[in-house]
Amino acid sequence: MSKSKAGLLQGTLDMLILKALSLGPLHGYGVGQRIAQISDDTLKIEEGSLYPGLYRLERRGWVESEWDVSDNNQRAKFYKLTRAGRKQLIIEEQNWERLAGATMKALRAS
Amino acid sequence: MSWIQATIRFLHAWRHPDEIAREVEAELRFHIEMRTRANMEVGMRPDQARLAARQSFGDFDRVKTKCCEISRSLPVNSTVLKMAIYITIAVLAGGAALWAVNMPHHNFAGVLWQLVAIVVLARTFVVGRRAISTKQFAADRASGVYEDKSFRQDKGFSSDVCETHGVGIKAHDEHGRTPVERMFN
Repeated sequence: MSKSKAGLLQGTLDMLILKALSLGPLHGYGVGQRIAQISDDTLKIEEGSLYPGLYRLERRGWVESEWDVSDNNQRAKFYKLTRAGRKQLIIEEQNWERLAGATMKALRAS
Repeated sequence: MSWIQATIRFLHAWRHPDEIAREVEAELRFHIEMRTRANMEVGMRPDQARLAARQSFGDFDRVKTKCCEISRSLPVNSTVLKMAIYITIAVLAGGAALWAVNMPHHNFAGVLWQLVAIVVLARTFVVGRRAISTKQFAADRASGVYEDKSFRQDKGFSSDVCETHGVGIKAHDEHGRTPVERMFN
């Protein structure tokens, strides 16, 4: 798959943010970097849509945030997954696997 | 419990819209700063790096407004649940009004108390309505709704106009009163 052509299906952003945060607390910029890193730079999150996504997840109680000092000694807002967020990630992963499996099955049909 | 924390955050966002707007702005500026540094590490000049960082971020004001709106929205997604909350508030207010009207009024003191209760309820309604209106206006102003340059340019409006309906009437005056409230006050 061409890296520049890899689009992001609607609704997967929340799952990717939850996945990135399941690996440890991060600030918003770090979340974007982590997603790019774990997808081998295939998935580039649109920076402007990342923050509304984080706020949406926080409002739902799936992530929580607190201000702390970053590696470069600047104040930054760090996000971490809540217990409810961890459960939601499992649900989202199961849904995604089911959808991906069904799509592959349809594409392979002759 | 996460939903309790979400509710506390929602109430905090309503009580302190300016603080939330400042936090959102600081967070977004931190992001642009980090992106600028990353751009400089790959060889860009500082001014180029900052410009590229802002361009890759997109519309700063729009993102800020969106984040502030999400902070102020009810921490539930269900429309039915939101309706239930609004109906509960309405029933409680109605109950309070009925209680005031049905107070004993067979003597002068009873009538006096009833009048006081009605005046207090009416006053509470007016003050509450104005407080919500002012709070909403302050929150919108803090989150930058009225600073949206593209909107102002498209519509040819000055700031502080009713964006939702696109009309050229000042949505709120300096006291946060709506046009209807200004007609009666």
